[in-house]
Amino acid sequence: MHRRLVFLLVLFLLADTLPVGAQVRRIVVYSALPDLETTLIHREFTRRTGIPVEALSVAAAGTLAARIRAEKDRPRADVFVGGSADFHAPLAREGLLLPYRSPVAREARINPAFLDRDGYWHGWYLGVLSIILNTERWEREMAPRRVPKPATWDDLLRPEFRGQFIMPSPVTTGAGFIFVAGQIFRLGEDRAWAYLRELNRNVAQYTPTAPGTIALLERGEAIVAMMWAHEGIGARRLRFAPLEVIVPPDTAFEIGAVSILRGGPNPQGARAYVDFLMTRTPQDINARYGFRYPVRPDVPPPAGAPPFESVKFVRYDREWAIENMSRIRERWSREIGR
Amino acid sequence: MTALARWELRRQFKDPGVMAAFVAGAAVLALFVLYPTLRVLTYPSLRDYLEVPQSVRWVQAARNSLLMAVLSTLSATAVGVAFALAITRPDIPGRRVFQTVALLPLFAPPFMVAFSYILLFGRQGLLTRTLLGLDVNIFGLHGLWLVQTVAFFPLAMLVVAGVLEGINPSLEQAARNLGASEWDVFRTVTAALARPGIAGAALVVAISVLADFGNAVVIAGGAPLLATEAWFRMEGMADLRGASLVVAMLMIPTTALFCAERYGVGRRRYTTVTGKGSRIERPPTYPALRWIVFSICAVTTILVVLVYLGVIAGAFTAVWGRDWRLTLDHWHLARDRLQSLWASLRVGVGAGVVTACTGVFLAFLTSRASSLRWMLDFLAVLPGALPGVFVGVGFVLAFNRPPLELVGTPWILVLALAFWHLPMGYQASVARLKQIERSIEEAALNLGADGLLVLRDIYLPLLRRAFVEAFTVSFVRAVTNVSIAVFLVSPGNVVATFAILNMIGNGIWGGAAALTTMLLVLTFLTLGVARATVGRVVRAVPVS
Repeated sequence: MHRRLVFLLVLFLLADTLPVGAQVRRIVVYSALPDLETTLIHREFTRRTGIPVEALSVAAAGTLAARIRAEKDRPRADVFVGGSADFHAPLAREGLLLPYRSPVAREARINPAFLDRDGYWHGWYLGVLSIILNTERWEREMAPRRVPKPATWDDLLRPEFRGQFIMPSPVTTGAGFIFVAGQIFRLGEDRAWAYLRELNRNVAQYTPTAPGTIALLERGEAIVAMMWAHEGIGARRLRFAPLEVIVPPDTAFEIGAVSILRGGPNPQGARAYVDFLMTRTPQDINARYGFRYPVRPDVPPPAGAPPFESVKFVRYDREWAIENMSRIRERWSREIGR
Repeated sequence: MTALARWELRRQFKDPGVMAAFVAGAAVLALFVLYPTLRVLTYPSLRDYLEVPQSVRWVQAARNSLLMAVLSTLSATAVGVAFALAITRPDIPGRRVFQTVALLPLFAPPFMVAFSYILLFGRQGLLTRTLLGLDVNIFGLHGLWLVQTVAFFPLAMLVVAGVLEGINPSLEQAARNLGASEWDVFRTVTAALARPGIAGAALVVAISVLADFGNAVVIAGGAPLLATEAWFRMEGMADLRGASLVVAMLMIPTTALFCAERYGVGRRRYTTVTGKGSRIERPPTYPALRWIVFSICAVTTILVVLVYLGVIAGAFTAVWGRDWRLTLDHWHLARDRLQSLWASLRVGVGAGVVTACTGVFLAFLTSRASSLRWMLDFLAVLPGALPGVFVGVGFVLAFNRPPLELVGTPWILVLALAFWHLPMGYQASVARLKQIERSIEEAALNLGADGLLVLRDIYLPLLRRAFVEAFTVSFVRAVTNVSIAVFLVSPGNVVATFAILNMIGNGIWGGAAALTTMLLVLTFLTLGVARATVGRVVRAVPVS
C-alpha cells in the first residue's frame, strides 16, 4: 500500500535525524514545509555536505517569521526555508536577513524573477492557485444536475455553488490575499471588487488558515474550493482524497523562498544550504512529495500537474501587491468580510 | 486606613518571614508575568494603538469576542455548577461517571476535539447527516457556543466543587432546623456560600473563553475573534505588531471582569471551616434540583463521550470520517513520536508543580490584609487574559537575552505554561482560603508561631486539595497546550501537541488521532498516580 510505504519511509527518515549532538558545524533550519519533504531534503543535504541539520518544521510560515522577529536579539536559527517570498521580503526590510547570491542559481539559469534583486531570498519552488473539487460530492449533487465543471475564475460565480464554495481568508492567509490581488490584476480594481462581492454570495466559509480549506474540502464540508494546486494534488496522491484540481487561466502563483538569518550561529553552513537548494535533487524531492513546481528548468514538474509553461498567469505585480496589502485587506474586510 | 489595618500591616512587616515572602512573590510575578507582558505591549507604537478603532475587522472581532464571553461563560458556568453539585452530593445518580467525564474536555488538544465536532455535527456529520439527514453548518458563533460550553465547564466545575465540598453541612442542617424549606436551604445557604466560588469560576471561564483559540480557530469559521485574530496576524501575516495590538484590546474586558469579581465578591467573608464544628451526614438533595442537575449532566456527558469516541475512532480507522475500515497503520507514525510524549510529560509535571506551588503561595499572601495585596492579586490573574501565542512571544522577547537566557532550553516552556495557568491554581486556592476562619491562625499566632510556621502548619494541610486541583489543571492544560508550544519548542524538545499540530497541518489526521489517543492515556495514568498518592493524604487530614 502506497500510503503505508510513505509512512514507513517518514518513520525511518525521522529516526535518522533525531539525535544530533552538539557538533560545531551543524545548522539550525526553521522549515515551513511539511515533515516529509523537510526530512528527505535534509538527509540528502547532510549526505552531500557532511553538515548535520537540526530542523524545526511548522507548517505555518507566518509563525516561523514571527518567531524569527521575536528572536532577533539572538537568532537561534541559520536558515528560514519554505513559505511565500512575501514572508521573507519583510524580514529583509527589517534587516533580519543576510544577503547572498548563490553561484549555483546563476549556473542553473534560474529565472531572475524568482530571485530577490538584492540577494536576500532565493526562490526555489512555485505554487499555483487553482480550483479544487470534491469529486465524491460533485458526482452525487452536481453531476446529476448537469452542472459543467468550473474551468475559469468566472465559473465560480455559478448560482449552483451557493453555500458550497470555500477559500482561505484574504485577511489572514497569503493564499487568500494572492487570489484577491490576482483578481485585481485580472479585472482591474473596480471590476475585481464587483467580482469578489458576487463570489461572496457563494462562499460558505473563508477559512482562517490555508490548510483549513483543504481539510474541509477533503471531508465534503464544501464541493468547490480555491486553493494551492499542490495541496489538492498532494491530498489526492498521498491520502487518496476524492479531489480534482483544475488550474484556470489567469491564475497567480507564489514563490517559495529560502533565506539566511543575520546573526545565526553558522552562516557558512547556511550558504551551503542555499546552494544545495538551488541544485536538482531538493527541487526534485519537493516536486515528488510536495507537488510544488521547481524553479529549475531541468527538473520535471510534479506528477499530476500541468507543465508550468502551459499555465496562463495573470500579470502579477508583486511589489504593488505588497505595497497595497493592508489597504486591500482593509477594503475587503469593510465591503465583504464577515 | 483604619487603625486596625495599620496595626495589621505593622505586625506583618515586623515578621521577617512574611515580609521576605511578599518580596519573593512580587519579584517572581514581576519577572514572569509583568515583564513579558510589558515587552509585548510596548512592541507596537502609540500610533498603532490609535489606529485600532479605524479597522473594521478588529471592531467586529471585539464585538464577537464580548458576545462569546457572555454566552459561553454563562452556559459553561451553569453546566459547571451542575456538575459540581452532582459530584459533591451522594444521592445524585451516576455521579462517579459524571466526575470522570467532567475532566475529559481538559484532556485532548483542542484542535483534535474541534475536528471531532465537525465529523459529528458538520455537513457530512455522522449525527447530523447520516443519522438525522440534516444539512447543518456548525461553523460560526453558534457552533462555537456549543463547543466552548463543553470545553470550559470543567474549569468552573473544579473551582465550584472545591468550594461546595468545603461547605459544612451543619449550616444547611441549622437552616432546616429553623424551618426553612429545602429550596430555601439551597438558595440562602448552599448557593450563598458557594457564591465566591461561582464568581471565581465564572471569572476563570470568562477569561479562558476570551483567550480561547484552539476551538475558535476551527469552529468559528470566518467570524473574527480577538484571540484568534492575534494568532492569524502571526501565522498568516507574521505581524507581531498587529498581534500585540489585538491582545492589548483583549486585556480591556479581562481587566474589567477582574475588577467586577473583586468588587462583587471579594469584600464578603464566607467562613465555614471553623475548627469547631463537626461533619454530619449530608441530607438528601431537593428532588427537583436533583433531576435538573442530573439531566444537564447526562446530556453533557453523552456529548463529551461522543466527541472523544470520535477522536479514538480516528486512530483506528483508515480515513477518518470517510473510510471506516479498521487499521493500525496510524500507530506506526504515532509510535515514532514517542519521544515527544516524554517531552510533554516532563513539561507537564514541571508546569503543574510550579503552578501549584506558586498558586498556593500567592493565595496565602493575598489572603492577608496588606496594601500590596491587590497588586499581587492582579498579576496572578493577569496571565489568564493573554492568548497563548502572546505569552509565547512575550517569553521569547523577554528571555532571549541576558541576564536570564532561557530560550532554547526546556525550562522556558515549563515556566511559560506554569505562569500562564497560574490564575487557575491561584483562584482555586483563594476560594478555599476564604473558607478558613482566621481564628485558627490567630490561635497559632497567640501560641507563638510566626507567619511562615502558620503557612506550613495551618494553611498547607488545609490547602492540599487546592494544591492537587492546581496541579491537575495546570498539568493537563500544559500537556494539551499548543499555542505556547508553537513558539517555545526548540529542535530536540518537541512536545506531543506540537507534533500533532504538524500532522494535522500536513493532513495526516489518522496519525494525529493516534498520537492524541496516546497522549490521553498518558495523561490519565499520570493523574491516576497523582490522585492515588496525594488524594489519599487529603482524606486523611481532619478538616473539621
